[in-house]
Amino acid sequence: MTGLLAQASGGIRWSWITANLDDIWEATVEHLWLTGIAMVVGFAIAMVLSVAAIRYRRLYGPITATAGVIFTIPSFALFFVLAPFTGLTVLTAEIGLVLYTLLVLVRNTVAGLDGVPEDVKEAARGMGYTRNRLFLEIELPLAIPVIIAGLRIATVTTVGLVTITALITFGGLGRFIIDGLQQNLFVPKLVVGALGPTLLALALDGLLLLLQRAITPWSRRAAAL
Amino acid sequence: MIELDRATKVFPGTAAPAVDALTLDVPAGEIVVLVGPSGCGKTTTLKMINRIVEPTGGTIRVDGVDVRRQEPHVLRRNIGYVIQQVGLFPHRTIARNIATVPRLLGWDADRTTARVDELMVTMGLDPDMGARYPSELSGGQRQRVGVARALAADPPVLLMDEPFGAVDPIVRGRLQGELLDLQARLRKTIVFVTHDIDEALRLGDRIAILNVGGRLEQYATPEEILREPATPFVEEFLGGERGLRRLALRTVGDLGDLGIGNCVQADATVEEAKRRAAESGERWIGILDGDRLRGWAWVSDLDGSRHAGDVDTTLFRVALSVDATLREAIDGLVRSRVGVAVVLGEDQRYEGMVTLDRLAQAIVS
Repeated sequence: MTGLLAQASGGIRWSWITANLDDIWEATVEHLWLTGIAMVVGFAIAMVLSVAAIRYRRLYGPITATAGVIFTIPSFALFFVLAPFTGLTVLTAEIGLVLYTLLVLVRNTVAGLDGVPEDVKEAARGMGYTRNRLFLEIELPLAIPVIIAGLRIATVTTVGLVTITALITFGGLGRFIIDGLQQNLFVPKLVVGALGPTLLALALDGLLLLLQRAITPWSRRAAAL
Repeated sequence: MIELDRATKVFPGTAAPAVDALTLDVPAGEIVVLVGPSGCGKTTTLKMINRIVEPTGGTIRVDGVDVRRQEPHVLRRNIGYVIQQVGLFPHRTIARNIATVPRLLGWDADRTTARVDELMVTMGLDPDMGARYPSELSGGQRQRVGVARALAADPPVLLMDEPFGAVDPIVRGRLQGELLDLQARLRKTIVFVTHDIDEALRLGDRIAILNVGGRLEQYATPEEILREPATPFVEEFLGGERGLRRLALRTVGDLGDLGIGNCVQADATVEEAKRRAAESGERWIGILDGDRLRGWAWVSDLDGSRHAGDVDTTLFRVALSVDATLREAIDGLVRSRVGVAVVLGEDQRYEGMVTLDRLAQAIVS
């Protein structure tokens, strides 16, 4: 508490931020890596599960139910359940992060693929599309807006969770929060640890939205009408 | 061209067949319309031809080859397919949509582009439209693109499942006319499904009237069906005014040379004009300037003039084109003050007049 009082009397040392920009930058890049790995792996698994759920309808219930149960486990609890097996490592963090992405990604991917109009699929079949080409050239592109909507939610969630995984890996922007708490609530570190991921999440969300607009010009024009 | 030989479809979990041993020959270059109430199996029949629905019995041959002896996607690339909701690909431009089958067949880019441009012209689509997306088009335009897409690889056979069912009546009428114009040039073998008997009568070279369960009630030309409905079901399905609807199948041009009608040239003498009107049994006379029809005048107003063209004339209210149906001609007669319908050809050239007598002769023959 003395530190806080000292800050209160002597003002907050905001200069710590400018003096440690290199550290902050390094932690930001780390944060992005941890998020990126979780998203790429999570997306790949979710695609496989979604295609399985579309082809074999009865799998959809069990897949989403399992992902849903995982989603309800508090992140703290999940990480410490995994820790005895994989240690306090990046792997532990990533397993948890990937599991959390699955529910949103599978649900949106399946919803996106289901949302492809029946008449479009029938016309495609009637013109001689094989099943695989129909999926890759018609169904998947048309599902993109809904899939990316899922990616945006999952990414924002993951950026937040990576902050918490600093408890295990001491990596990413979350470590400034841990430091700040240990150093008698050193405010500049707490601010960087909290505000950093927030800005990161907003930036990634915006980038994904731009990506979606760039690769689905047809949906934007449709919305403009 | 397309032979259905006891084609049968029983859907799983149903006792009664949707289509029961249907035998039908579709001759090359003709439009055959499958028509009937809902549940008559017309759409199922159509979809068995390209195996969107797999037949459970019988044989279907396209150009002599059993459809089940070909891979479905290979078979389908040689058969144009148009459905009611069109099913354009929303994520692809109009040009890319039309290019679908050529790309599946692996045509090179130049050939595909040339073909797309050609089809856009054929279907009356603005070339600028090629870069747009389906959501930016009207219903009628989308349906034209759907037909262009089905024609892209120049398939000999076209399957059309209620293609004009989702557009308003005015656009539908126009699209029907365009399909007939197109068919006059392309001579495809077309199987066309509709529940609208008037659409069937207008488009079909032959009409297959189906009853519930895919039972064929009558398979004949529109003229035969209207003249002699084979069963009470057909008679009921056709509805009333069969005589008038038969007239709708024939055009003014089918009447042959109409002659000059009750007309004289403007420089004819009043005596000549009176004689002409008397021969026609009319109290009025039409006045011509060469091959232009000026109008008509009462015979009683001619007195005191030297030439027929000296009097004021009244314009004919109703003019028909040579393509007008005899049903439209009757309508013209009824609306005309002098009981005739004037026929004008290209550049408004006078072709003659249709009278009630002339129509009566045509109906009897």
